[in-house]
Amino acid sequence: MVKDLVVLKNITKTYQTGKITYQVLKGLNLEVKEGDFLVVMGASGSGKSTLLNIIGLLDKPDSGEYFFDGQEVSKLNKKELAYIRNRKIGFVFQAFHLVPWATALENVLLPLLYKDGEITNQDRERALELLKRLGLEERINAKPSELSGGEQQRVAIARALINNPRLLLADEPTGNLDSQTTQEVMNIFKELNEKGLTVIMVTHDPEVAKFAKRIKLIKDGIFIEQ
Amino acid sequence: MIPSYYTLREITKELISNKVNLFFMLLSLIISLTALNTIYSLGASAKKQILDALANVQFGKDAMLIIAGGGRIIGLTTTRRDTLKLEDVKELERLDFIKLASPMSRETLEVSYKDIAEKMRVEGVFPNFTIANNWYPILGRFINEKDLKTFAKVCIIGSDIPKKFNASPSELIGKKVKIGGDFFEIIGILEPKASFGHYRRDERILLPFTTAQRRVFNKDYIDAVKLLFKEGTDIKFAERKIREILRKRHKLFGPEPDDFRLITPEMAISVFTKALKTINLFLLVIGLISLIISGVIIMNLMYSNIEEKAPVIALRIALGATPQNIITHYLIMSLIIALISGLMGWILSILLMQIISLFTPLKPLFSWITFLISFGFATVTSILFSLLPAIRATQIEPSLLLKSL
Repeated sequence: MVKDLVVLKNITKTYQTGKITYQVLKGLNLEVKEGDFLVVMGASGSGKSTLLNIIGLLDKPDSGEYFFDGQEVSKLNKKELAYIRNRKIGFVFQAFHLVPWATALENVLLPLLYKDGEITNQDRERALELLKRLGLEERINAKPSELSGGEQQRVAIARALINNPRLLLADEPTGNLDSQTTQEVMNIFKELNEKGLTVIMVTHDPEVAKFAKRIKLIKDGIFIEQ
Repeated sequence: MIPSYYTLREITKELISNKVNLFFMLLSLIISLTALNTIYSLGASAKKQILDALANVQFGKDAMLIIAGGGRIIGLTTTRRDTLKLEDVKELERLDFIKLASPMSRETLEVSYKDIAEKMRVEGVFPNFTIANNWYPILGRFINEKDLKTFAKVCIIGSDIPKKFNASPSELIGKKVKIGGDFFEIIGILEPKASFGHYRRDERILLPFTTAQRRVFNKDYIDAVKLLFKEGTDIKFAERKIREILRKRHKLFGPEPDDFRLITPEMAISVFTKALKTINLFLLVIGLISLIISGVIIMNLMYSNIEEKAPVIALRIALGATPQNIITHYLIMSLIIALISGLMGWILSILLMQIISLFTPLKPLFSWITFLISFGFATVTSILFSLLPAIRATQIEPSLLLKSL
């Protein structure tokens, strides 16, 4: 039987801006099994990024239960959450979020600094191999400003993969890319998923959603039936 | 925790990524450290010079000066000053810790040579003056026992006097000068000794003690005695013993004040350095204030750095950096700033001292203490004032990486 990797039970999240309170997530339930490729679609403001923040342990729900890899994580402290993010979750962002002064290789190695504090030759080898697999062997010493959008996103993917995560979280990963590069990047996601990596992606591009095994629509803080 | 090479490289690159910020952080710290170090060095140098000068006149730790007349160390006497006698010195010489006692008397008299006349300090001294003060003639000879016995009308002159008489030192040997109405033959010229402030030590004339007392000053009391102690003498004990003997001989009892002053090198130094200390303390306070201002500047620049780098910090947190990782990151950054500015401040203060020494009598003094001051203060200031910004950095929400709601 395939294990549940992410289980959300009745998650709520409220934001306050000045005197106005927005309830962004209104009792949301979700189960994602290992090896799944889930795309969450929804209009802007529907709560999909908040959902991704909570799944990625970047934010805490106001109420509800969240089991990640069998562990209840909604009440963990910052240090414990950092540990899980570092070792079990890989992030790919719309804006790439590479460290501007670091080279492609250094960006890929960054999560390892928070794992053991040290970077071994093995780590380097592994990072180089990942970059090579993503077609970046010629660009390892390039700074983000010297890379194209597609290249930057591939560096970000290599960085997300460096710690062998259980879950890859992607927030509009192709939002800043042209259609050909989008195709390339999505093929990478597909390939990773086929090798067993669980992927949860947020997008509003129906073309991108076609790569998913499952699509869920979110509206006003709850999933709606397709 | 020792940061890894990658961590250090990361931090260095981050620092260099905002050169203007880095420049002002370093500048503010370097300026105040240079000031602080220079102030300290100036004080230390001035003190050392006084100590050297005192050692140069045999006023090291095994010495004492007895001056006739009671009162404060420097200033007007408040008692009779005609009570210190040669017999007192004889009695003191019997103490087993006394190595040497050199009494002297002095007056300020008119001295003339050819058509030049000037008021000068004239002293009656014994042959042991040379040892007691580590002061020897560079030309001619010093006073000897025979001069004392025969009340010889001879004198030794200080090294600045030939200039006053418009004559070369060698040409003056054998010539006669008129001191207080009598003519004295110049038999030697003293080697030059540096002056203490406005006290011109090289403008004095020495006569044989007996000649001075009988023929010139016409007095039976002495003005001062220089004592040298045997090595290892307990100065406090010596002081007590000497005071006891002199008070007894001068028939001073109970609350009656001393009619003499015992001056130890420590007291002399404290007098010379007192004004210096006050000024120094004042400057040090200013230095410390400027250091605090630097600290505040660093704090502000750190805050702005953290605001600017918020997305990167959020990213680090998202990638698994713990609050401790983030704080360490920024404290290492402030340590790097401290080390660079500590080194620069230290080097600059050394250069500044060299420049100051060109225009003042103060000599540059190399001291590892300034090195420690520089790095110590740099580290404390930099880290202390970076702590709050570093803590602020840990509170950045990683969720800001995902833009819309």
